Amino acid sequence: MRMNPLWLAVRLSDNPPTPSGLAAGPSQGEAVKHAEPRSGEHPSPLPSGRGAGGGSQLACWAGAFTPRVSLAENALLLEIGGCLRLFGGLDVLRTQVAQGLVEQGIAARMAVAATPQAALWLAEGGGDVLDALAITDLTWPPGVAEKLTRFGLRRLGELRRLTFAALARRIGKPAATLLARAWGEAPDPRLDFVFPLRFDEAIELPAAVENAPALMFAARRLTGALAGWLNVRQAGLRECRLDLVHRQGATPLPLRFAEPTRDGQRFERVLRERLERLQLTAPVERLRLIVDSVEALPGSSGGLFDEGGAKEGMAALVERLRARLGEERVFGIAPVAEHRPECATRQATVGASTASPTPPRPFWLLEKPESLVEIGGRPHRRGPLRLLAGPERIESGWWDQQEGVGDIRRDYFIALTQDQRWAWVFRELRAPGGWYLHGWFA
Amino acid sequence: MSALAEILVRPDVWRGDRLAQAPLPTVASGFAALDSELPGGGWPRGALTELLVDGAGIGELSLLTFALAKIRENGGWSLLVAPPHPLHAPAWAAAGLDLARLAVVSPASGRDALWAMEQALVSRAPRAVVGWLPYADARALRRLQVAAAGSDALAFLFRSTRLAVDASAAPLRLQLAGEEGQLTVRIIKRRGPPLAASIRLALPRPARLRSRDHAHESPLAGRPAVRQPAHA
Repeated sequence: MRMNPLWLAVRLSDNPPTPSGLAAGPSQGEAVKHAEPRSGEHPSPLPSGRGAGGGSQLACWAGAFTPRVSLAENALLLEIGGCLRLFGGLDVLRTQVAQGLVEQGIAARMAVAATPQAALWLAEGGGDVLDALAITDLTWPPGVAEKLTRFGLRRLGELRRLTFAALARRIGKPAATLLARAWGEAPDPRLDFVFPLRFDEAIELPAAVENAPALMFAARRLTGALAGWLNVRQAGLRECRLDLVHRQGATPLPLRFAEPTRDGQRFERVLRERLERLQLTAPVERLRLIVDSVEALPGSSGGLFDEGGAKEGMAALVERLRARLGEERVFGIAPVAEHRPECATRQATVGASTASPTPPRPFWLLEKPESLVEIGGRPHRRGPLRLLAGPERIESGWWDQQEGVGDIRRDYFIALTQDQRWAWVFRELRAPGGWYLHGWFA
Repeated sequence: MSALAEILVRPDVWRGDRLAQAPLPTVASGFAALDSELPGGGWPRGALTELLVDGAGIGELSLLTFALAKIRENGGWSLLVAPPHPLHAPAWAAAGLDLARLAVVSPASGRDALWAMEQALVSRAPRAVVGWLPYADARALRRLQVAAAGSDALAFLFRSTRLAVDASAAPLRLQLAGEEGQLTVRIIKRRGPPLAASIRLALPRPARLRSRDHAHESPLAGRPAVRQPAHA
């Protein structure tokens, strides 16, 4: 089905961008209210978002909505005719775009129209009807607005009475062409923004930042751009790197994800945890986000961890816990076909699949076997143990002499302690012998 | 229906003389004697359940394995926070707890453990969260209960029996003890009338305890006799 093109213009405000000063069109009032910047984040280290880098970052970010993005002077054009249904309608899409702009601290006005030029002018002049726009509110080639005012013309609609030729004679061909394009009477080809093959974007901070959490606000522009870029590429990543550039060099901050993702919120959450724990060695002047490799991730992906209804997927939770507590502190476990109990469990990637049947084994295995007192030939631990099953001879590992557990020869018993705990104990068969507590049947 | 009667049938309102209905469907514990005493007939979801126990080995984990396996059957994840000892994988696999749906967090401090457990509940990602915070204080429990209330997961917290007399935000509190090799459960708080008697549960235990198993009758008496071929 061929969709009619529909253009959304995002016109960056001339005012210095402040998160609260977003001059949105009338229908964006609601969105702006929802999307106040989160408390605790200082919005002051605003990056200069208008340079060449700023434009391409913004275009990348817009890739989250549509693959057809075009850069105009001080504005961004999104062709949204093809993606409206995906987003559930124009209002939802506009709200999401407005929210994304506010989160990045970008002041802008938006408008939607059937042609790019009409959308740009509507965003500039502020209004819903093209013909009602005031001529002096719009950008023209030099001298045109003044000339039209001298003719006594004030609204765009008043120009409709003139033919193209008559207009071109009075205000020049370029201005007449603008009008024809806005009205949809002349083709308005736009150069599509070419999404870079490799993601490597940087932001200069207007002032050096000394505390790490304050970098979050600026970094959000980069993670937003990354999410949009990945969406257009239909790709996801497991890892990327944020370089905090300062006078002494750069501090690399690797961000890792439990599965390939392009979810901007997940990027943000992991980054937030990392920044909150980070002590900066020097004031940061520049942020650079680099992606070395991506994986194909088509459509909306159903991952290994996918679960309906969860606010945050299991993968996202795992990666946030890791970002804060350390990679090694969050793991899965897997059984190993090994007789020696110490070697029968290994830490595994969360989500690895396994299965293995065994005789009764305890849920907990002590870090190190606890030596037990032997009185009258039987083990004691705050009183004598009742040995209820066993022995089960386990001997193995003669090949493993160098490190770890090594060669073992033990008789294992299931025992009940005086305080009613089910214990897994063994008698060491090698010299010097002795009894040991090895696990609990919890 | 009168206004009062309407209020009384709400799941979040319970009369002191009978067991409350649980606001969310519960998950059966697998022990009929216990389920019949729990509001809603099983472990509550979206609420913190406190298990008071000292040390390990009386069957405190076996008490949960049926419910955790149930969670697994439906594809749900379980997360263990700050377990007291390293996990012995073969035992977990044998108990029907698919390890591919089990994650472990082993934080360096109690504070981190509390944070991780709270985050896990708030995220609504795992369907069951089991934490070991033996000395978590009343404030920590309030935080966890708030986090649990916003989720629909099973939330179990192991704490020391020394804290049994303290106030607790958990709507369900059980004190566990070992007796004759079996686990006994005393419900010290629930939404319903207090229950004076303890419930003794027939948990799967690794060996049978017979009355003749006395200290002097030890399997040590014979040779290493496990799996001896049975011949005449």
